[in-house]
Amino acid sequence: MSRLEAKRPSLCKSEPLTSERVKATLSVLKGVVTSCYGPAGRLKQLHNGRGGSVCTTSQSAALLASLPVTQPILKILTTSVQNHVSCFSDCGLFTAILCCNLVEKVQGVGLTTTTAIKLNKHLLSLCTEYLKSEICGCRIPIDFGSTQLLLCLVRSLLTSKPACMLTREEVEHISTLILRAFLLTVPENAKDRIILGKSIIVPLKGQRVIDSTVLPGVLIEIPEVQVMKILPIKKSDSFKVALFCASLSGDLSETGEGTVVLSHGVSLENAVLDQLLNLGRQLVSDQVDLVMCQKVIHPSLKQFLRTHGVIAMDRVGVALMEPLSKMTGTQPIGSLNSVSPSSYGSVKDWCTAKFGFKHFFHLIPNETTVCSLLLCNRNDTAWDELKLTCQTALHALQLTIKEPYVLLGGGCTETHLAAYIRHKTRDEPESILKGDGCTQTELQLMSEAFCSALETLAGSLEHDGGEILTDRKYGHFWSVQADSPSAVNWPDLLSRCGCGLYSSQEELGWCFLRGAHHPFMPQTCLPREASGSANDLTLDCFTAKLSGLQVAVETANLILDLSYVIEDRN
Amino acid sequence: MVMACRVINKRRHMGLQQLSSFAETGRTFLGPVKSSKFIQDEECHESVLISSAVRLLENLDLTNAVGQLLNEAVQAQNNMYRTGTSTLLFLVGAWSRAAEECLHLGVPISLVVSVMSEGLNSCIEEVVSLHVPIRNVFDLTDNTKTFSGLETFNVSLFPFLQIPSGTGLRQEEHDLKDVTSQSLAVCSLSGRPVKSPKLFRPQAKVKTDKNTSQTPQVLKNSLLADTRCRKSVLTHSRHFSSRDDNQWISKPDGFLEQRGAAAPKTYRCDELVELEVGLSHGDHSSMKLVDEAVRLQCQSSGMQHGSSSRPFLLDISRIFTWCLPGLPETFSCVCPGYITVVSITSTAVIKELQHQPTRVVLIEGDLTENYRHLGFNQSTNIVTVSESTKFQQDSLEELWTSHVLQVLIRFNVNLVLAQGSVSERLIEKCTQSKRLVIGSVNSNVMQAFAEASGAVPVAYVTQVNENCVGSGVYVTFWRNVPFSASVQIQRIAIMLKTEGMNLVTVVLTSPIPAQMQAKEDRFWTCAYRLHCALKEQKVFLGGGTVEFLCLSHLQILAERSLHKGNQGCSEWLRNTSSWLASSVALYRPTVLKCLANGWHRYLSTLLCNTASYSSECEASTLIQQHLQNAVDSGSPLSYILNEYTKLNSGIFNSGISDKLEEIPRVYDIVTPKIEAWRRALDLVLLVLQTDSEIITGLGHTQINSQESEGFLFL
Repeated sequence: MSRLEAKRPSLCKSEPLTSERVKATLSVLKGVVTSCYGPAGRLKQLHNGRGGSVCTTSQSAALLASLPVTQPILKILTTSVQNHVSCFSDCGLFTAILCCNLVEKVQGVGLTTTTAIKLNKHLLSLCTEYLKSEICGCRIPIDFGSTQLLLCLVRSLLTSKPACMLTREEVEHISTLILRAFLLTVPENAKDRIILGKSIIVPLKGQRVIDSTVLPGVLIEIPEVQVMKILPIKKSDSFKVALFCASLSGDLSETGEGTVVLSHGVSLENAVLDQLLNLGRQLVSDQVDLVMCQKVIHPSLKQFLRTHGVIAMDRVGVALMEPLSKMTGTQPIGSLNSVSPSSYGSVKDWCTAKFGFKHFFHLIPNETTVCSLLLCNRNDTAWDELKLTCQTALHALQLTIKEPYVLLGGGCTETHLAAYIRHKTRDEPESILKGDGCTQTELQLMSEAFCSALETLAGSLEHDGGEILTDRKYGHFWSVQADSPSAVNWPDLLSRCGCGLYSSQEELGWCFLRGAHHPFMPQTCLPREASGSANDLTLDCFTAKLSGLQVAVETANLILDLSYVIEDRN
Repeated sequence: MVMACRVINKRRHMGLQQLSSFAETGRTFLGPVKSSKFIQDEECHESVLISSAVRLLENLDLTNAVGQLLNEAVQAQNNMYRTGTSTLLFLVGAWSRAAEECLHLGVPISLVVSVMSEGLNSCIEEVVSLHVPIRNVFDLTDNTKTFSGLETFNVSLFPFLQIPSGTGLRQEEHDLKDVTSQSLAVCSLSGRPVKSPKLFRPQAKVKTDKNTSQTPQVLKNSLLADTRCRKSVLTHSRHFSSRDDNQWISKPDGFLEQRGAAAPKTYRCDELVELEVGLSHGDHSSMKLVDEAVRLQCQSSGMQHGSSSRPFLLDISRIFTWCLPGLPETFSCVCPGYITVVSITSTAVIKELQHQPTRVVLIEGDLTENYRHLGFNQSTNIVTVSESTKFQQDSLEELWTSHVLQVLIRFNVNLVLAQGSVSERLIEKCTQSKRLVIGSVNSNVMQAFAEASGAVPVAYVTQVNENCVGSGVYVTFWRNVPFSASVQIQRIAIMLKTEGMNLVTVVLTSPIPAQMQAKEDRFWTCAYRLHCALKEQKVFLGGGTVEFLCLSHLQILAERSLHKGNQGCSEWLRNTSSWLASSVALYRPTVLKCLANGWHRYLSTLLCNTASYSSECEASTLIQQHLQNAVDSGSPLSYILNEYTKLNSGIFNSGISDKLEEIPRVYDIVTPKIEAWRRALDLVLLVLQTDSEIITGLGHTQINSQESEGFLFL
């Protein structure tokens, strides 16, 4: 019996951004993401308050995934940041903070929404054009002949996630492992198109971080009992492999609805087992050396294969199927009837290995594009954070191979970009406006809002009450202790800029970032030797940051553009 | 779905306070003298007796986030090393107080994090100089020294407080040496070395008699030991006793070496017994069992490989503990092979099987008709109909049972070990045909039998073929255990053995059932300690030495950075470009001192717990004194080592120095200890850096009803 209920009318709110409640929640969210930002960022404990597992994190991916928000405006924001993170992994917090800052600053300017959005778009394209141009002063081209900059990129990523709880030595170790894992996924003889392999992260919780390691090929965890059953290896150059995605457990999973009636003496189980053994006979006659199955293999079939010198490996799991089929060149077999010889693949070698308390079956491929990163960390929450960070770093390296540039990190790109925009809008406003009806005053106002959104973002890196300075030569980011007397000799107080490229030895003309200052043209065209000399730079992934910038501006525009929220309450 | 967000870092750091209050509950577990605790459930009035940090946290209601993180850290340490959890718990408390102190003094959080973690790193590098190498503890085939002879020498808690205990038993030990000089000695319960029992000879009865007759003396001994332990009695190093020139140098490989008048003598630990006593940390009864287990394993591995060149390792996975609550402590013992209980109805079968090698089959799962291997989904909608009425519903099991029996008969198998449960009907049938079926066998035990007997574990009896059947297993009655509990009255204990099998069963008994778990935990702690020491081939000089070195090292670092200023400090920060890098020098001494206070608190609690000092204050003063001396001396390491020496050559020089040579030192294991420190500091720093708690999936109402203050909703 169904019950009818009268429909409730939808709720319609106009000008949602002006509501105090929306403003308040937006500022809470901004507070949460801002406080997480950077290497000194504060951590958040995520849990359900009822004894569920506790996640300690400062990463947008983990944070936003478990933040169930109800406010539609916040939803727009979190969804677009999550979208960005799913495509680029890195720069999620950057995107979220910039978007919040932009919404806040633009609201403060008091221009009409259409004008603001139009100008925002102009400023965004000014940014992206500059970042993509050859004269860009905050971008370093990557030379894949040396690992220095790539290591810096990975190291910066690792240090920006304090919840991984790594010491300096451990950061070095993991950075090297990540880079090595990445390099193992690059095929050796690349033709015109490179297809990257895959690095699999294998968990080994509870061990010391320093015990982490990278191995070419795939590691399959096996129980100790099985180690004994693995036969001593025959001498050969390569071994034939069959990979099953269908279950070989011998059950009748698809009997459908209704009842199956059998007469006494008929055993379906035995019938299926006979079929499995027939399959086993075919595998043996095809001279397969190793049979792997995503699901379970019937013990009798395993025994049959073993007595014929074939190694059987079951419960490999769905996550390993793709890398296994890639590495061995097998076609996963989905039926028990007949196996086409073309679906077999091969491996070079295998062995068993023990790491910590776990036993592994290690498959060594002929040509390495798949590798396993055995990742250790002391506790669960730090391991989860480290895993996410490693995935982000591997992804950032992949993006870097596509667009071989890195951006200066540590807030320097933001302050440099802000200085550049300020200067450009003051110097050549016509070329930016392109005569689409906005006045130069409006442009000045918007550019000030845009730049201060960028600078506030850079300032969010500071969590311990320091002040931010910028220099009038490069427009880089410098931090100094709060309440420093303003007339002091700056070079004595400062050490290096945020990204580590410049030191305070040079007279650079420092001033407070928050104070009003005259626009200046930051030095463009990064000197070539600058990138080579410094070996401890803080760097950001170019592609991810560029996309983050675009997503942030576009999302802010979308939020600013909202005039009604219609809520269906049924 | 609402997200609530609570700012936990307003005026005081709630997380750190929670940590230190949780950790406070485990204070009494620090050190070798542990006071037990009762935990009572208010609702159901059940109570548990606990005496370790792990069990404490297991039984506390830790639903809040910080408590859960703490529990997770302690469990992780326990799963990994089985030791160091009390240290971990205590240091979490001490360092969270230290971190709070830093916050009160206005040190920026990021600086506390970097300086503390680098400070601990520096300590860890420093204590490498207290490594003691272990070499060839199994080399001497004439290794007749037995654990029991040393048991009355209690172990030092702090190197500077050592007082010798009576040396009366030493003589007895020397005498016994002659008796057993040719064979590897195995201890019986009485502490008297007896020749290793010949395998498969039923001698249980004799042994039992001997044991019972000597019980009173043993009890007296252990009582004595207990009271001594309370008074902190202690021992000395034989390596320090007779040297005049006591210059210690640290060799480049990190091991200690004494440069004396004679050729340089490396400071090391060469004897198993010495190592064991040093690692027992006052728990002699457990370590004695471990010792026996090691000797049995060593013996069987010697039988297998002859004199193999690689160092012998204690194989933890081949030790099986069997708890018998309700029996007096003296029934605890170690036996080669596998001991289990079977129904009294099997007596006849065992009598039949005794004295002859038996063929064995190992079953990986249950041994029942309806058991299917893991991953097999049984279809529910299949119905079997039969045309004739002579087949009954239960005939399926009957058919299966007779089939199993046929297989066993065909392959002449008299013993079946199953990991899961076994069908009652089958046991009955097998008993009739003189076959023994044992269920619920531990997987490590199965593995040991598989290796030693050559059997291959199978999932179904139908899989059994000639290659799967193992042989050479002997079944005997084990000693007559007076099962007191009425449940076990119908059962008898049996022992299964195979030649060359290194499986050892440790029978643990306790007259108080509530203490059973603690006893088992303590046994495993000792076993893992020894295992780890043998694996790492090195130990720490123990008894608080390591912690004292850390304390004085930090003290010196703090003082040095006060004078030196900013030199080389920027390396101490993760993010070198921040202003924090240039202000490290300002705060570094403060933070390092706070960290050192944690060690100080650790050492004074340790002293206080051993009851040698009436108050923590008194203990603290003593440590302060030593600390001052150590720092003034310029090299804390040589100060510590000289304190050892002074003790031996100065006070107790005359007359007994030759005997002191035999008295063991205290040792600590290396990696588990250092990992416990790191885990403790990691947890504190993780909580310190946390500024808000985000609670997911709670409605407004649920939170309002609890404590709405400080929550923000999105």
